[in-house]
Amino acid sequence: MAVQESAAQLSMTLKVQEYPTLKVPYETLNKRFRAAQKNIDRETSHVTMVVAELEKTLSSCPAVDSVVSLLDGVVEKLSVLKRKAVESIQAEDESAKLCKRRIEHLKEHSSDQPAAASLWKRKRMDRMMVEHLLRCGYYNTAVKLARQSGIETRPEALQPGRGQPAGRGAAGHGHAGLPAGHTHLPLQGPAGPGPVEDADPAVPVRQLPAAPAGEQLRVHPHPAGRPLGHKDACYKEDGSSRSPDCPVCSRSLNKLAQPLPMAHCANSRLVCKISGDVMNENNPPMMLPNGYVYGYNSLLSIRQDDKVVCPRTKEVFHFSQAEKVYIM
Amino acid sequence: MEQCESVEREVDKVLQKFLTYGQHCEQSLEELLHYVGQLRAELASAALQGTPLSATLSLVMSQCCRKIKDTVQKLASDHKDIHSSVSRVGKAIDRNFDSEVCGVVSDAVWDSREKQQQILQMAIVEHLYQQGMLSVAEELCQESTLNVDLDFKQPFLELNRILEALHKHDLGPALEWAISHRQRLLELNSSLEFKLHRLYFIHLLDTSHWAEICETFTRDACSLLGLSVESPLSVSFASGCVALPVLMNIKAVIEQRQCTGVWSHKDELPIEIELGMKCWYHSVFACPILRQQTSDSNPPIKLICGHVISRDALNKLINGGKLKCPYCPMEQNPADGKRIIF
Repeated sequence: MAVQESAAQLSMTLKVQEYPTLKVPYETLNKRFRAAQKNIDRETSHVTMVVAELEKTLSSCPAVDSVVSLLDGVVEKLSVLKRKAVESIQAEDESAKLCKRRIEHLKEHSSDQPAAASLWKRKRMDRMMVEHLLRCGYYNTAVKLARQSGIETRPEALQPGRGQPAGRGAAGHGHAGLPAGHTHLPLQGPAGPGPVEDADPAVPVRQLPAAPAGEQLRVHPHPAGRPLGHKDACYKEDGSSRSPDCPVCSRSLNKLAQPLPMAHCANSRLVCKISGDVMNENNPPMMLPNGYVYGYNSLLSIRQDDKVVCPRTKEVFHFSQAEKVYIM
Repeated sequence: MEQCESVEREVDKVLQKFLTYGQHCEQSLEELLHYVGQLRAELASAALQGTPLSATLSLVMSQCCRKIKDTVQKLASDHKDIHSSVSRVGKAIDRNFDSEVCGVVSDAVWDSREKQQQILQMAIVEHLYQQGMLSVAEELCQESTLNVDLDFKQPFLELNRILEALHKHDLGPALEWAISHRQRLLELNSSLEFKLHRLYFIHLLDTSHWAEICETFTRDACSLLGLSVESPLSVSFASGCVALPVLMNIKAVIEQRQCTGVWSHKDELPIEIELGMKCWYHSVFACPILRQQTSDSNPPIKLICGHVISRDALNKLINGGKLKCPYCPMEQNPADGKRIIF
């Protein structure tokens, strides 16, 4: 990966990016807990009611038959309570497990194995992209991408047009299941009603960040254009200083990054145009008589019969004409 | 890491509580049903014999009723007790993660949001092609009604075809490609063709080289195409991930200390973002005297002694028509300074 992210940096980014990843399943957990409590309370009161009736009957010398039938009623209500309780607990347990899976996934970011860490980064990017695509209303693309990237979603979690908190759930199946985390998108299905709402406060989403998180994907390329040393070099008219590796030089991002602020560099960093290697005391910068500077090692490598040809102007010079420059 | 672990601890506690509660609930209800079942059987036999409800049975029944009420009410209140653990999870999340991604970019920067979205969509499509997710890219083009010209797509389609073959351990397409691009590969000092031939012979004995060959192929093919191995979007995204928290922190500090003057300069970020050496795509020269980046309007100048400073700095140092280098007090003529290009 070109961009080096230290563990500390990753941690900081996690703190800023992943709130919704965890908060959404938590909200589901909370909701299910409350539903479970309601169910248990309701069935408990039903049981209590029939038991009270039974007690009343008992106090007035009843016939055995009536007691038996009332008891049957109690048994029935108890069974219903048992069933509902088991179902509700299962549901809330499931959502707690989802929270756990997401945390485990997030923990992967600091894995010792570089392969796992870079897979995590790739999935992170895919997650943000799926999110962004959903916000743009490109539902099918988002689903396809999620599937292909292994960040499966449960079909019911990704309902278009339902206007419900459609937090993307985790896959149930194995490790590959990775949850794309995010908030509710009142998604518009392929033939949905009305325009897609920007996931803004307009959405009655409880306690979730108002900040349209699709901003995330927008925000990322933004701060990015900047630290990547979006510099004059990327915007020279004749494209002479384009570097194939520099993202800001690439045609699509070039336009996007143009209005953005430049990166801040307090220290010099010199890169040889021939090799792409850094120029420092191990590879000192050498100036040719035409003013162009290259690394000493690169000049050695292009030297032929004691002569060098400047790659940019094609002028030919003697190797000995290169002068060392001193950068403080 | 600490953040995740902190939340995980709370989640684990909740899971444990659900487990014990679930087991307890099922068990006590089972027992209760069993007990009531037995009572009912007794009553049923009494009913069969036509005997009236005996006092003992009546007493036992009342006890049973009490027991039922107590058990179910306890079940309800036990469940309620779990609530605090559940809400602790939420609090841990709130404590360890930032709920607001404050905007560090002002939207005013672009003239039109749609245009910006379009360019972004295009960048995403290009990224998808480069990653080999061709069907997703196609879908996006359809949904966003973007048109991608075939010449752009073509090389990726071919690359992908060859890579897929390599994944299936088929060297044919890759070899064909390498041979047809032999000249340019040699210019690159690439040993791809050799590696392909070698793998062809040894793959029966040693299967560990496949991953390496895919990588070599991708790297060389991208070089030939003038592309970077990683799509611009992913590099940008990764940089953004690094930059975002830093910028947010600085913004928060600025607001807190109310020194908004520090970041008023819209043309430059207030702080340097460390991305690692692989991201040094262009040379940056910061004048050591004025601590500013040089540019076309203020280029770096090499003095006779070899030291380099910016032109503005040079002009500032002129004294009576002469110039003293700040590093090795060598007197020289300002006109002898030579403009250099990195």
